[in-house]
Amino acid sequence: MTILIDQNTRVLVQGITGSVGAFQARIMVKYGTNLVAGVTPGKGGTSFEGIPIFNDVEKATIETAPNAAICFVPAKFARDAALEVIQAAIPLLVLTTEGVPEKDMLEIMAYARLKGTRIVGPDTPGIISPGVCKLGVHPAMMYQRGTVGLVSKSGALSYEVGRVMTEAGIGQTTVVGIGGGPVWGSRQSEIVKLFFADPETQAVVMLGEVGGRMELEAAEFIKAHPEKPVVAMIVGRSAPEGAQMGHAGAIIEGHEGTAQGKIEALKAAGVHVATKPKEIPELLREIGIKA
Amino acid sequence: MRLLEYQAKNLFKQHGIPVPQALLVRSEEDLRGLQYPQVLKAQVLTGGRGKAGAIKVVDDFGTAASTYQKLQGMKVKNESVHAVLAEQKQSILQEYYLSLLIDKALAAPLFVASASGGMDIEDVSRENPEKILKLAIDPLLGLQVFEIRKLAFFLGLPEKELAPFMRALFEIYKAYDATLIEINPLARTDAGLLALDGKLVLDDKARFRHNDLFTQLEFEQKQNDGEGLDPSQKLAKAWEITYVPLTGDLGLVSDGAGTGMLTLDLIKDAGGFAANFCELGGLANADRMQKSLEILAENAQVKTVMVSLIGGLTRMDDMAEGIITFVRKHPNRFKLAVRMCGTKADEGRALLAECGIASGEDLVTEVSRAVALAREAAL
Repeated sequence: MTILIDQNTRVLVQGITGSVGAFQARIMVKYGTNLVAGVTPGKGGTSFEGIPIFNDVEKATIETAPNAAICFVPAKFARDAALEVIQAAIPLLVLTTEGVPEKDMLEIMAYARLKGTRIVGPDTPGIISPGVCKLGVHPAMMYQRGTVGLVSKSGALSYEVGRVMTEAGIGQTTVVGIGGGPVWGSRQSEIVKLFFADPETQAVVMLGEVGGRMELEAAEFIKAHPEKPVVAMIVGRSAPEGAQMGHAGAIIEGHEGTAQGKIEALKAAGVHVATKPKEIPELLREIGIKA
Repeated sequence: MRLLEYQAKNLFKQHGIPVPQALLVRSEEDLRGLQYPQVLKAQVLTGGRGKAGAIKVVDDFGTAASTYQKLQGMKVKNESVHAVLAEQKQSILQEYYLSLLIDKALAAPLFVASASGGMDIEDVSRENPEKILKLAIDPLLGLQVFEIRKLAFFLGLPEKELAPFMRALFEIYKAYDATLIEINPLARTDAGLLALDGKLVLDDKARFRHNDLFTQLEFEQKQNDGEGLDPSQKLAKAWEITYVPLTGDLGLVSDGAGTGMLTLDLIKDAGGFAANFCELGGLANADRMQKSLEILAENAQVKTVMVSLIGGLTRMDDMAEGIITFVRKHPNRFKLAVRMCGTKADEGRALLAECGIASGEDLVTEVSRAVALAREAAL
């Protein structure tokens, strides 16, 4: 099985006529993802590659019954777009948008908690279940179907590690990019929990980085629920304190958020820690994951 | 964006938070006719001003004038003083701590309060956590009366006195997308509660909503703008490319933050010393690739560059084009090690090969090659 998405996922795309949205929508369709509706205010009644476009999410929801949404709307309009999806009670929203103001994220998430929508993102490449469904911008060639769950803050790092695993013959059940922060709709520990509950996932690979304490939280969760083997890699071991390392959330503040602290906590929780991507398939093999 | 104390206090005043009578000193003459004692406070963005000797109590015009000159010329942790603020000295009965910040883990605005104010709140938090109350506010409901009451009881302050401060903090968070608003100390004086210091950070991502305010605040801070930035940082700022200077001699460009940090770690593991962290973001084109190399070229220390690319959304033929344009413009400026894989990698590597630029698919191999090249260059 996969987590979050599967062959029954019916996707609504916000911003389907924008340049990025249109480009990515075509790739998702080609991959086999079932795009049922697009939303672009003012273009309702038209269509995109045979997919009906609506002016608002509510109407699209009534007519096409999506159970997931992906947002390609710019940061300025992301709050409004996300709240619209949540109000329509769509259970999953992938928020690819980078640079969403923090206050907007707090409001989006408070409303999402109230209505039961899961947010993945912002600033995320989204989710891919190789060979089944792709809800996001992950380059498909990096992955193959398999038994390992992969969760990452960084998009490029998930491609990097996905590729190394795939080359070693180890595939993935689902790959989840949770985004670069600094406020996350879904946190690493939540995704790890979903993987632990998925019967097909035999092990989890977690990719983290400097900044914040989300990896520490995940370590606490894994320590309390040692249900499946976890391999982790934390990047930014050589990042200087106080500098923002490309992601909004990747900043070491005082003693908080160093790579070393996270690596130690993960090791103490029984997690196998890799220092370079190539070690990840090796560690997976050692714990019995077969190619 | 971080505000200077006087900028924060201007916003405080507009929202009804009482602050001491103050004057932004423009010249020594301004100090005449003030009611002494006064507190002269160097306006810098870095913290720890008290310990750095950047806050001085002065009893008369004579000492004020000489202290003003000293503060004007001083640097606090490498930052030049932007301005000097003169404030009427207060007689304090008790110091409290009050802040409102965005708690990223809770995904909620969080009030933090303590009756042990005036000191580093992180020290209080470590040594006497029971002396701090943290109160998360529902972003949708906003601040409620019972929450004000709870904090007032904890601090031992009358609810009526505390309420306007908490309301103002919440208003400032809502109105300006503040991610941190801190009053430390919040002082009880004979004249009531006063904000003696003010710290305010606004969310850069929300600039589109407050462009005029951001521009104004930046303009005020501008006398020192660009100061302390090296030529590479200045270019990076102008072109909006992520660039963090480090101390080594091996330049680094990557097309993702996570892979950039990974490459940085691998350079260190291989015994190399990175000169910088520079990241193009997931949707880079040839122009940005070229620009990032131009940024690195401003650093004379750098003779070797590691280019670390994993084409997800970026196309490797585009990246190759950017690298080639740079190399044609500045032949022999850098020795390059290029790691290229992913989208259109074969095309990209073929383009590079035509121009005599070696590249490889394996990250660790290319990193060792880069470190070896840098070592050669250093000999």
